[in-house]
Formats: sequence, C-alpha cells, structure tokens
Amino acid sequence: MSLLEIFDPKAAPRPVGIDLGTTNSLVARVRDDKPQVIADCNGARLLPSAVHYDARGAVIVGTPALLLAAEHPRETIVSVKRFMGRGADDAETKRLGTYDFAAPTTPEEAKSVRFKIHDKVVSPVEVSAEILKALRLLAEDELRTVGGVVITVPAYFDDAQRQATKDAGRLAGLDVLRLLNEPTAAALAYGLEKQQNGLFAVYDLGGGTFDVTILLLDNGVFQVKSTGGDSALGGDDMDRALASRFLVEMGAPEGDHGLVRLALDAARQVKHGLTDHDEVEIELPIVGGATKKIVVTRADFDAMIAPIIARTGVACRRALRDAGVKPEELDGVILVGGSTRVPAVRAYVEKLFGKAPLGDINPDEVVALGAAIQADILAGENAHAGEVLLLDVLPLSLGIETMGGVAEKILPRNTTIPAGARQVFTTYADNQTGFDLHIVQGERELAADCRSLARFVLKGIPRMPAGLARLEVTFRVDADGLLSVTAKETTTGVEQHVEVVPSYGLSDEEVETMLLSALDNGEEDFEKRRLIEARVEAEQVLAATKKALAADADLLSDDEKARVSTAITDLEGAVAGDRTAAITTRTEALDDATHAWAGRRMDRAVARAIEGKNLSDVEKDVAEAAGVDAHVEAHASMTRPS
Amino acid sequence: MADPFETLGVDPRFDLDLRALEQRHRDLSKALHPDRYSGAPAQERRLSLGRAIDVNEAFRVLRDPIRRAEALLRRGGAKVGETVEPAAPPALLMEIMEVREELSDAARAKDLPSILRLGAAMTARQEATLKKLAQAFADAATEPGKISDALPILGELRYVRRFLDEVSALEEELSP
Repeated sequence: MSLLEIFDPKAAPRPVGIDLGTTNSLVARVRDDKPQVIADCNGARLLPSAVHYDARGAVIVGTPALLLAAEHPRETIVSVKRFMGRGADDAETKRLGTYDFAAPTTPEEAKSVRFKIHDKVVSPVEVSAEILKALRLLAEDELRTVGGVVITVPAYFDDAQRQATKDAGRLAGLDVLRLLNEPTAAALAYGLEKQQNGLFAVYDLGGGTFDVTILLLDNGVFQVKSTGGDSALGGDDMDRALASRFLVEMGAPEGDHGLVRLALDAARQVKHGLTDHDEVEIELPIVGGATKKIVVTRADFDAMIAPIIARTGVACRRALRDAGVKPEELDGVILVGGSTRVPAVRAYVEKLFGKAPLGDINPDEVVALGAAIQADILAGENAHAGEVLLLDVLPLSLGIETMGGVAEKILPRNTTIPAGARQVFTTYADNQTGFDLHIVQGERELAADCRSLARFVLKGIPRMPAGLARLEVTFRVDADGLLSVTAKETTTGVEQHVEVVPSYGLSDEEVETMLLSALDNGEEDFEKRRLIEARVEAEQVLAATKKALAADADLLSDDEKARVSTAITDLEGAVAGDRTAAITTRTEALDDATHAWAGRRMDRAVARAIEGKNLSDVEKDVAEAAGVDAHVEAHASMTRPS
Repeated sequence: MADPFETLGVDPRFDLDLRALEQRHRDLSKALHPDRYSGAPAQERRLSLGRAIDVNEAFRVLRDPIRRAEALLRRGGAKVGETVEPAAPPALLMEIMEVREELSDAARAKDLPSILRLGAAMTARQEATLKKLAQAFADAATEPGKISDALPILGELRYVRRFLDEVSALEEELSP
C-alpha cells in the first residue's frame, strides 16, 4: 500500500462489491470493517437497472431512465439481466415485453439477443456495462478510485450468462476480481455478522431470477452443498401475471408497447401496495380515453402468483435432496431479494422448510454487502481474510455431445469449484486432422435440450490411422464458475498445440475495440488506462511477493533470493516510470523468478493444513537440498500417479 | 490423475472417516483455494487453481465408495473399469433383472410407494455390500495378493448404485 500512496495519496484504489440486479443494482464497500451500501448524492441506495438511449445517442441510467420508460418503451431497457447470455430465439426473448430485437444475420449473431434502438443495435452486455459504469461513477464519488470489483450473479446462471456478466464488467472498465453467487454473498454478509455455525438455506427471489442454496457455515468456511433455481423466474413474472389481467381490462390491442409498459408499471405498484394492505385500488386508462377503477385483493393476487411460487418449491426440494439434507436439519433459512417481501412468498417458505425465515438484514442490500466483504477479502485488506473461505459449486452439469446426440456428463451439478475433468478422444477416420467438440450445460439427456455453450474445433492432429490418435481434452471450471478448455494430442509424445475457438463471450481484442470506441479521446485515454491497469497489477504482485518474503524467505536458495530481490527492484523502478511495456515485462520477470518458490510455499501450506504430519519432512527436505530444484523434483515424483 | 489419498494426505483404506475427510478437504482448500492467491503473480495463481482442482477432485473420488474402491484397487495394481473387471455372476444378474422389472412396473403405474419400498430394500443391500467391500480391503491390507477379491464386490456395488440412481430419478419425477 505504501507504494501506491507515493503516486497519489488520495487515490488508493478501493475494492467494491456490486449487486447487478434485474430491477435494481447496488454498489457497496467495506469501511472500518463494516460493509455499507454507497448512496448517491440524493441518498438513494438502489440504482434502478434501467438504461435509456435517447435520439441523439446519449445514454441515461437509473431513475431518470425509468421515468422515460412509459413514454419510450422501446428505447428504455429494463430487466436487461433476463437477456444476459440469451440467444435470439430463446423463450425468454419472446415473452411479454416491450422491445424490438434486431434479426440476426449470421449464426454468430443468433447466439446473443440484440436490441434495436433507433438505428443502433445494442447487446445486453453493453446495456449492463452502462449500469456498471454508473455504479463505478457513484463509487468514485466516494472513493475516488475503484480497485478490484466483485460482481454477483445468480447461483443458477449458466456459463454463457456468467461470461456475459464478466464481459460487461470489463467493458465498464472494471477490474473484475470475481463473480460471486448471490446466495453465497448473502450468506457471507449474514454469517459474518451473526457468527453462527450450521446448515442454512438461502432462498433468493429477485426481480427476474430465483436461486436456492444449501450451505454449511463452519468457522469461516462457507461450503455450498447444493444449489438450484431458475434464471428466468422472479418478481417480474408476478408483474406480468397481473399486467396481463390489466391489459384485458383496458381492452389494449396486442403489440402496443406503451400500454404494456404502463400495465407492467401499474402491476408493480399494486404488488408493492399489497405487501402491507389487503386490497389496492388502481385507476387504469381504457381504450377510448376513459379510465376504469380496479380493485385487486391480496387473495386475488396470491391466487395469480401461486403457480410462480410453486415453481420455487421444485428447485428447493431438489437442492435439499442433492445436499442430502432434510428440512428439519436446517439451522436457519435466509431470505434474499425484494420479491421475498411478498407475504405469500414468506408463508410458502415457512411451510416448505418448516421454520420461520430469518429476514433481519435488508433483503435488497444483503447481496451487495456480501460482495463488498468478498472484494475486501480478495484485495487482502479484510480483517477476516485469513479465516474466511467461500467454497461454491457448479450449478448445472457440464457435458459433451456424444454419438446419437446424447449429452455425456463430465462434471455433474453441485461439484465443488474450481473443478476439472479430463476426457480422451480418438479419431474415427484415417488421416483425420480435426475433431468437433460440442459442450453443453444442463441436466437433460439429449444435448439438443441442454444449453449449448461452445463448439470447439480441435485442429492440428497429426495424420495417422483411425483410432490411433489420443486427444486429451481438459475442462476447467474456475472459481467464477467459468469454463475453459484446452486440448493436446498425446500419441506423438510431442504436446501439439490444438486450436480451440470459443463460440461466445468477447475476446480481449473485442473488448479493447469496444472500449476504444466508447472513449472520447480514443487512443490516448486507452493508453492511460492500460498504464493504470499495469501499475495496479504490478503493485499487487509486489505486495504479494513481499508478504511471501516475510513469511517464507527460508524456502529460497541464496541464488533465488538474489534473483527475486533484483526482480523486485527492477519492477519498482518500472512502476515509478510511465512505460506500460516495461511494467508488464518486469511483472512477468518477477512472476518467473518466484514460480518455483510458489510451489514450495504451497507445499508448506499444505503440510501445515495436514497438521504437521509432513511438516517436518518438508522443512527437512528444503534445509538439506543441495539444489532447491532437487526438492521440487522429488515432490513431483511423489505426487505422480503410482 | 494423482493418487487421491496422497493428494489429501490420508491413509489408503476403504473405511475412511468421512467427517475427518471433509475437514481435511476444508483445511486444504483454505491453503490452496485461488481466493488465497488473489493478487499473486500469474503463474502462482495458475498453480493454486490447478492444485485446488486436484484437491476437489481427490475429495470427490474418496467421498464416493465406488471411486474410492477403484482408487484402492489401482494402488494395489489391479485393473479397474467395467470392461476389464470379471463378469458378474449369473445369479446376481438374474436378481437385478427381477427387481428392475418390478421397478419399471411401478414406474409405469406411477406407484411412488412401491418405488420407495424397492429403493429402501436396495439401500439396505448397499449397506451390506459396503461392509463386505470394507472387509475385503481390510483383508488385502494384510495380504496384498487378495486385493482382487474386492473386484466382484465392487461389481455388485455398481449394479446396486445404478438401481438406486434410477430410483432417485423416478422419485424426483413423481414427487409432487
């Protein structure tokens, strides 16, 4: 930290947590060990997730955008989260809504919904990035510089939806440290405050998504046992159910975007009113200019939304079954999301789990608070950093399409992440040099019924008779729940480079191009930004290395110690200058100088975790090693398959 | 893949204390999870990701009796996998075929109580098979040559497991 302060004492980047919600979004930070939501200059803590594009190309976000929604239903995007990672012909795209969509002209374009606004085409990622930018500005007002960011996503988001969220973060110019599942974030905020161990269910019904998570809190470890949900189910659906009735009462013709918007807004008002009242009266315009008063009772509303709430029960029962937990074994049920304010939802949850839910943290804010805590921990600044760990799971099974279109599961749902799997394939024709691989996500038996994530073409297989090539494909799911795939051909002994082409998500180049076009001063701003980013990374690496030196310098040989300290000095010199390339190169040099040492430090951490069982061995090995590399070699052979 | 017992630092035996195993997994996760290396140099972050994946995978293997048995057999030098293991005895096949028929009748009739009854009976059978398997591995610990005695019991466990998987799929399908 001291180094950063030399650059600009006022602008040490601060980590923040962002809840990018369907209806509202929030940004929070940790201050004096307490998470808190950052309010805007009017004291508002919730930023409506609404983005308006005006005729002159300006972008308006938040409450002012929401106010324009009724008048400009097609130019104002609300609930964009429901479209993240969705294809052009997804069912979600075709539901009761007010938007025009651009018809895809290529299969590539069909993979993502695109809104047609004026003469522009805008993707959900770009719309979300506008919301994130507004939150960034809000946070910068208070913190001056925003550092690493944790963005929450519904636990039940699939890989495409997660990738889209991360891309939106990058597009908003944020350093996304982590995507965090919303229920886990809520549990973190809740658990740290209450200091309670036990088994919990988190029931999270938001504006457009539903999640349920069963997790175990054990002395700072938040271990998710199972998760389930529906990434297209929420308060919006309650609004739609009510709005459909209003539209009938109004005699509205089909396809009138303005009236649909009006009915949806009226429905939301009525829904909110019914939380505290048994009936609500509303005046609706009817075709021809007159108005009509309609009374909606809570009983009417409850009956209308009963099928929606019942859908949450299916996911809850499955999550309990997957976790091997009976409702009576739960120590508590945590409610998250604005839609859990609906009395019928609370009653349903209580009946389902057999206990009254805990709701003493504001259900609108708890997710952002948890995200702020996790950001603080990841930035290494939190008092709990050493004791808290979130162990999350893969929400939906990952599989590959095999012969006959069957989806073969390679990683089942609820596998703890990070996770990996390896699969070996062979060629079926002589001299075959390529191989198609279709990766899907979901629980259905046929690949066609699952979400198609990516089609990879493995190229560069050496020519040989059928069945001889051995293609080893490695799937890795990182702690964000994001999948990456690498492949190699192993028969020839040489590790062949195999080309993998992802079919969705933005490449670094695409993000760069989009950022460039969004910045006023193009190149110049962009260079400045790259310099700042390189510096931030260098500072992090320097801080981490110094921390490691303080703890584990004894695991370095004298030669290595000299190399590391030279690399540190070099990097510090580069950081003080303003040449991005020099900073990047020297960060890499420090990375190289510490690589072998990092392995040894991890061995030591493991030995300590195994309570001294191998501790003395490891330390003795290191002390005796004539060359430290000999120790590494010995360890490697020990862990090789026997 | 590395030996899961070594990855988790536990004794290679079948009757593991699953609670202690879970605790060990949590302790190792605390040491290796990528969250612990946020801000570290890139290669170190990759290393931690790889090792956390190994720990999670080893835990997944050892938690599951079938995969745990396979890992023990591999350590003992036996070949595992359904295509190389000895074929199941006809008596077992007959028995499984009969209960399967009962199960598909119950499924066709959407008769959940019968499905649950068949499931409960098979769960009891699973317990007994697991005990036999534990005994076989305990015997092999003193007489390594006997390790292949565990193979037919493992085969039996596979049939039992598949049946139970079908029961839970049906249960999920037919539950209100």
